Formats: sequence, structure tokens, C-alpha cells
Amino acid sequence: MSAVAAPPNNTVEELYPIALLMDELRHDDVASRVQAMKRLDTIAIALGPERTREELLPFLDNVVPDDEDEVVAIAAEELGKFVPYVGGPQYATLLIPILEKITACEEPIVREKAVDSLNFISESLSDEQIVHEFIPLISRLAKEKWFSLHIAAAGLFKSIIIRVSPDLRLDLIKLFSELIQDDSPMVRKSAASHLPGLIDLLAENFSTPSTVGEFHWDLITLMFNSLVKDNQDSVKFLSVDVLIAILKFLKKINEKQYTEELFASLISLIDDMSWRVRYMVADRFEQLVINFDDDQYTLKLVPNLISLMKDNEAEVRKAISKQLPGFCKAVNRADSSLVLNEIVPVVSQLSMDESEAVRSALASEVTGLAPILGKEATIEYLLPVFVEMLKDEFSEVRLNIISNLQQVNEVIGIQLLSESLLPAITALANDKLWRVRLAIIEQIPLLAEQLGVAFFDEALGQLCMEWLWDPVYSIREAAVLNLQKLTKFFGEEWCKVELIKRLLAKKQSKEFDNFICRITCLFAFDKLISVLSPHAIATEVFPFIDSLKTDQVPNIRFNVAKSLLSISEKLLTDPTSNEKSLVVRSIKPSLEKLLNDEDVDVRYYAGKSLNTLNEFLENN
Amino acid sequence: MEDAIEQQPSTELTQVPISTTNPTTQINTLEGWIEQLSQCKPLSEESVKQLCAMAVEVVKDEQNVQPVQVPVTICGDIHGQFHDLMELFKIGGPCPDTNYLFMGDYVDRGYYSVETVSFLVAMKVRYPKRITILRGNHESRQITQVYGFYDECFRKYGSANVWKTFTDLFDYFPITALVENSIFCLHGGLSPMIETIDQVRELNRFQEVPHEGPMCDLLWSDPDDRGGWGISPRGAGFTFGQDISEQFNHTNGLSLTARAHQLVMDGYSWSHQDLVVTIFSAPNYCYRCGNQAAIMEVDENHNRDFLQYDPSVRPGEPTVTRKTPDYFL
Repeated sequence: MSAVAAPPNNTVEELYPIALLMDELRHDDVASRVQAMKRLDTIAIALGPERTREELLPFLDNVVPDDEDEVVAIAAEELGKFVPYVGGPQYATLLIPILEKITACEEPIVREKAVDSLNFISESLSDEQIVHEFIPLISRLAKEKWFSLHIAAAGLFKSIIIRVSPDLRLDLIKLFSELIQDDSPMVRKSAASHLPGLIDLLAENFSTPSTVGEFHWDLITLMFNSLVKDNQDSVKFLSVDVLIAILKFLKKINEKQYTEELFASLISLIDDMSWRVRYMVADRFEQLVINFDDDQYTLKLVPNLISLMKDNEAEVRKAISKQLPGFCKAVNRADSSLVLNEIVPVVSQLSMDESEAVRSALASEVTGLAPILGKEATIEYLLPVFVEMLKDEFSEVRLNIISNLQQVNEVIGIQLLSESLLPAITALANDKLWRVRLAIIEQIPLLAEQLGVAFFDEALGQLCMEWLWDPVYSIREAAVLNLQKLTKFFGEEWCKVELIKRLLAKKQSKEFDNFICRITCLFAFDKLISVLSPHAIATEVFPFIDSLKTDQVPNIRFNVAKSLLSISEKLLTDPTSNEKSLVVRSIKPSLEKLLNDEDVDVRYYAGKSLNTLNEFLENN
Repeated sequence: MEDAIEQQPSTELTQVPISTTNPTTQINTLEGWIEQLSQCKPLSEESVKQLCAMAVEVVKDEQNVQPVQVPVTICGDIHGQFHDLMELFKIGGPCPDTNYLFMGDYVDRGYYSVETVSFLVAMKVRYPKRITILRGNHESRQITQVYGFYDECFRKYGSANVWKTFTDLFDYFPITALVENSIFCLHGGLSPMIETIDQVRELNRFQEVPHEGPMCDLLWSDPDDRGGWGISPRGAGFTFGQDISEQFNHTNGLSLTARAHQLVMDGYSWSHQDLVVTIFSAPNYCYRCGNQAAIMEVDENHNRDFLQYDPSVRPGEPTVTRKTPDYFL
């Protein structure tokens, strides 16, 4: 590749790249043509600007538009970066005709790439070029008969709408509003999806009293009203984002006189016959409320919220469930009784919805209502909902509640939370879905910290040990880590009595014949090394781990080799350590023995541990 | 639309420098590759070549019937479902702490055949005693050109070189394994031309999977409810009945034949009155079958335990409904 990039001197080499490209672009295999097209920039650099303009572009203009979509898409993308290769901005307009041809492509991906490239090229064009080349391009595309070109035109306004003169801007907005009312729904759909972006651009640049006329309020509302009344629901639902953009603008210039009218449009959208329109409103509910920014309207929307929560289409109920905390926060500011009296009863109904997707969506957000309702109301009205949802037959619902309990904890305190939810939590500790069990384990340190030793041991101590023997490795791993965290809270004496004693008892049981049981015990002791005192390690942990160095399973022996290093490091570095002699007296000989093991991995890890240990001993 | 769930455009294929002279450096290189692959990032073409050259040295000396010790976890088809392979390790435990035996079909069908097979081969080279990888009927030049691995290599590397490197390596993979002289493991099933395990040992396995004959059958056959040998609807291999399994297990002193090759909805399935077990480790096969996956743990006392699991959770990816639409039923 780099060989081609150097400017060629010799005539034969000079001809080579374009000839090669021509050959490859005529290759029978599409994949080869794609590869060749990806190297277009290298070829252009090699040819230099003049020959790129005079040879490469006419050649591409000839072959590209008739090729397969994959090849055309790459060409469209590459040509966007071509301004420097054709000799800079003054020649940039030479790229427009070929990209214009590509925009006629029916395949949306190809068309979008051509539009993106045209937008990108427009940034390097002078005002003169915009007026004489780019705007005529938009007009041509918008006035052609073919719908695909209208769609392309709709995508080109955003890059120039601000920089043109006021007169041209008015013309452009008028042209755009023709696209918004185009005969083809696909064009209207495309234009409608670009409109919010255009409104944002206008709002950003023309929001002062002297410039606000440039926003062209009349034309914008005309377009919005036409979308709201569109007979295709796939066009109509895009008006929701347009409404949000308009509201943002009005909020910015602090203008209230149109709010009533816009609110009426919103209500008509909420009551629309098509569920897709109602879904869009539901999905953007919080944003709509925030941008109306008026308690009076927030309160008026409560009945509408409730009707969406009871919508007969599950997708709508799912979308509105996700908006509950945000909306309720706004309602609460306006009237603190409404959430509890009007909305919470419907939340309870929704928690028993027939669709599992709705329940799951609600479960991921419903805990966010706790801070809004406050302690008393949460305990009385929300806790029963949580408890019910923790028993849901669909595991994702349970998981979503458990994962968000922290929020509830902050409102009502761990004591109440655990008292009311503990039965449900212990029921889930043996859930058949391992990710639910994992989520429970991850809540345990939090519960432990707040419950205190006595209550914890009674309620959860047994569970924490049982998880160690779970059939799923990730649960055992989490259980081991959990023991480490618990030891941090409850201290060494607790660990000795509650954990170490029970682990050692396991050694006498029949399950210890099983490799998984032994390696789990080993991992558990290994994780305790960092949280126990040198004395406890020397007397409790080391003898257990060392006894496994002759285990029949090599996987255990090489983990022993790893753990012996962790023990040594702890004993040698801990300032309270009186056990340093154990390292040289017992640990090193054990590692040296493992160094002659029959298994290659045991020898490798023993050697690695021994090397690190020796370096350590030398440096101290 | 479901078909449009695409993998990320192939990320930059980075290369880890390698020295074959110093074993520590070689281990570091391998561990670098494993780290990169475990994030589902493919290796560079150059690294794949080095890795496969190292892998040939490791697997070419393994036997046609590779002996395997307990404890070991036995797994079935993966088929390029990389994230589900990572889920498998979450369920069974990471290698090398857990020993694994994979019974073939690492590539084709799924979106990440390159990453899947690269990862397993890298693990094999790094920990040859901890993981055994057998050959499946998809570890073949012919099959991979039809079912996706060839196209995936071409898409991710821009040429067929990586496909060629891997398929050349597949010729060296062992075709069966024997766990402690008791469990005979292979991808497909038995062959009318094989009565004893010693006959498998005599095959020349270093070749493309043939269209017929004993090596083909071992990678293609299926157990069947009907007795005796039958013609396989697959067009390769045979179907074999319970009488055949009884005879084979008896002759060779086996307690069990474990194989993969067939989708089973619970991830594992017994046949021939517990003489044969099918293990399938690709959950929601082809991202739409709705099946569970399973692996079989065999402990040092030969106790067997099946672990079933569902597809991995990948946040941010569109979830394809696991329910079969009514019109298929």
C-alpha cells in the first residue's frame, strides 16, 4: 500500500494504479470490487489532483452508478473524503454530479451514504458555491419525479440552512415544507424525521428578539400541523419529536401564547387510533412534560398517563412504564397527593399485567417511585408491589426489582426493607435462574453491613455457606468473594467461628471427595488471605492450603502453588506479622516440592511463585 | 430484521510480537492473544498464522483416540456463538482451573466463528493438558465454504488466508477421546467399519474429512431408535441402533459413548438406554432455535453431572424472541 502512495516518476508506474483499479472494478467478483473501491483514496493520492479530476472521476462516473449496491455504498462513502484529493474546495463541486447520481439509488443505505458525503462536502464549499451549485442540487432533487430523490433532498438542508442568506433560507424552508406534504409517504416520513434537527438548528441561531423572525414560526407550525393530521401513522408519529423541538424553542424564548394550541395537538396524538402514535407519545412522555414546563399542563396529563397505562397495546404500556418516575417527579412538585391517590393504584394493576415485557419494564423503574412517595407511603403502598413482583414467574421481573433495591433502601432504611423483603429474598436465593441468585448475593454485603452480626447470622448466615456449593461456577465465585466482604465487616473472630470452622467441617464430609468442593474451599481460603491477620493465616489458612499440595487433581495443586505465594506476600509485608519464618521454613519447601510435580502446569505455576518469592526475599 | 443483527465492524486487528525461542515470551504472547480474544477481538492474520503453526506442533502428536483424565467437563457444538462460549465458562468455571473436552463444531452458523476457534486453539496451545479439542464435521474445508466460516474469514480479513490456515490445522485435530478408558467421546457416532477402539487408532486422520469410510462416519453418524445400521438422511455417516451401541460399549469395556452433532432442546439427551449421550452446547442455536445448552461434568470418581444454561445476556443488543412464531407450529 505504501508503495503506491509515493508519487510515481516512471510513466509505466504512473499508469499502473488507474489501470489496476479499472481492472479490479471490472472484476466478476463483488468482493474484489468492494476491496478495490476501499482503496480509492490511495489511488487518488497516487494520481495527484489533476489526474484524479480528469481521469478518475469520469471513470467512476461511468462505472459506479450501475454497479452492485455494496460497491456503490463504498464509493459514496469514499467520495465524501475526496475534497483534498481533487485539489481542494475550489474543485469540490466536481464531486456533486456523481454523488447526485448515487442518490437515485433505491437502497436506503447507499442513498444515506451519498447524502452524508454531500453534507460533508458542503462544509468545505464557499458561499458562492453553495448558492450556485449546492442549492440548485437540492432544488433539482426536490423537484424530480422520483421519490428516492425527494428523500435525498430532505437530508441535505441541515448542513446549509443556517449559513445562507435570509431570502434563500425562506425559500429553502418553503421547499422543505413541500417535502413535508409530498405525495409519497416515504418522503414525508424522511422529511419529518429531519424536521426536529432543523428546528433545533433554527432555535439555536435565531432565538433573540431581533432574529426570532428568522425562525419562520408560521411555516414551522404549518409543517407540524400537517404532520399531526397526516393520514399515515408512520408519518404522524414523527410529529411527537417535532413537537418536542418546538416546545424547546418556545421554552428558550419564553413564549407562552401557543402552548394551549400545542397541548391540544398532543392530546389528539395521545388519543390517536393508531397504537404506534400512542407508543411514541408514551415513549417521550417525560420529555414532553419537561418541555411544556408548566404545572398546569403536567396535572392535566395525569388522566392521559393513566389511560396510556391501561392502553390495550402492550408496547404502549411497556413504554409508559419506563416514564413513570420522571413523570411522577414532575406531578409531585405540582400536587403531592396525586401520585399516591391516582397513579399508584394503577401501578399496582400494571404490576400484574398479562405481558411479561410490561412487568419487566415496570420492575426496572418502579423502585424509582420510592424517593418520590417518601418513607410512609412507600412502606404502605409500594412494598407490597415489590414483594409481589419478587415472586413474579418471569425471572427478568424479579431480577429488575432486586437490582434496584438500593434506591428503596435509601428511603425506608435497611431494617424495614429486610423485614418485609427477607422472606422473598431467601426464596430467591435458590431461584432456578443463576443470574437471579447472583443478584441476591451481590446485595448481601449491603444487607450485612446494616443488619448487624446477630440478625445477619440468624437470617442469612446459612445461605451464604450454601451458595458455595452451587452447581454454577459464577455463583460459587461470587459466594467466595462474599465471604471475604463479610469478614471485612464482621472481623476475624466471626470469620473463624462462622466461616473457617464450617469450611474445615466440610473437609470431614463426603462431598470433599469431589474436586469442585475441594477447589472451592481452596478459593475461599485464598480470598480470606487479604482480610485476615498473619497469625490467623499461619494457624488456620496455611495448614489447610498446604494439605492440598498432594491432591490427586493437578488443577488443585497449581492453585495451591498460586495461593502459597499470596500467603508469603501477606506474611512478609504485613507490619503486624510474627510469622515471617514460616515462609522459609514451610512455604518454600512446599513450592520446591511442587516444582518437581509430574504435571506441566503445576511445575509452571510453582516455578512462577517461587521466582517471585525469591525476588521478594532478596529485596527485603 | 433479526438477521440484520450484525457484529461490530471488525475492529483493528492488533498483533502481539512473538519470540519462539524463549518459552516465557511465548507464554506471554499466548496470554496476550487469549486476553484479546476473550474480548471477542480477532487476532491479526500474522498472529493467526503463528498461533496455528504452534497448534500444529501441539495437536499433531496427540492420538486418534486421545486419552483424557478426570475430572473433566465435556462439551458439544459451539458453532461460532462466542458469547455463549464465554457463558459456558461462567457456568463450568474458567480454564485452566477446570479441564475441558470439546467435541467439535466450533465454526459455522454463528457470527463469531473466527473468534471462537481462535480462542479455543489459543487455550489449547497455552494449556495442552487442560483442554482437549476434537474435530467435528464442520472442521472441514468443504463444509465451512457452505455454512459461514469461509465467508466470515473473508469479511473479517479481506482474503481467504485465515480460512486456509485454520482448515489446514483442522487436519491435525484428534478425532476421538477416551476418558479414563470408560467414556468414548467423538463428534458424530459409530461406524460399521469400526468394531474396536484400536481400529480407530490405526486410521490416518491427517486429511480433509472424507466423504465416506470410518473417519467420515465417526464425525457424521447419529444414534437412532431403529436397530442396526441405517442410511443417514444427512448423506454422510450412518444411523446406528441400540444393538450396535451395546455391542460397541461391551467390546471396548466402555460405560458410555458421549457425542455431540445433533440439536437437543434440553442441551443433553440420553439414548439407547443410557449407553449414548448427546451433548449440545450452543444455546438458542443459530440465535433462533430456543434450545437450552448443556455441559457434562465428570468428577474424579466418575460421577456425572449435567449443567444446563441459556444464552448469554448481552446488554445493548436487540433480543430476538425465543418463542417460535405460531405459524411455524
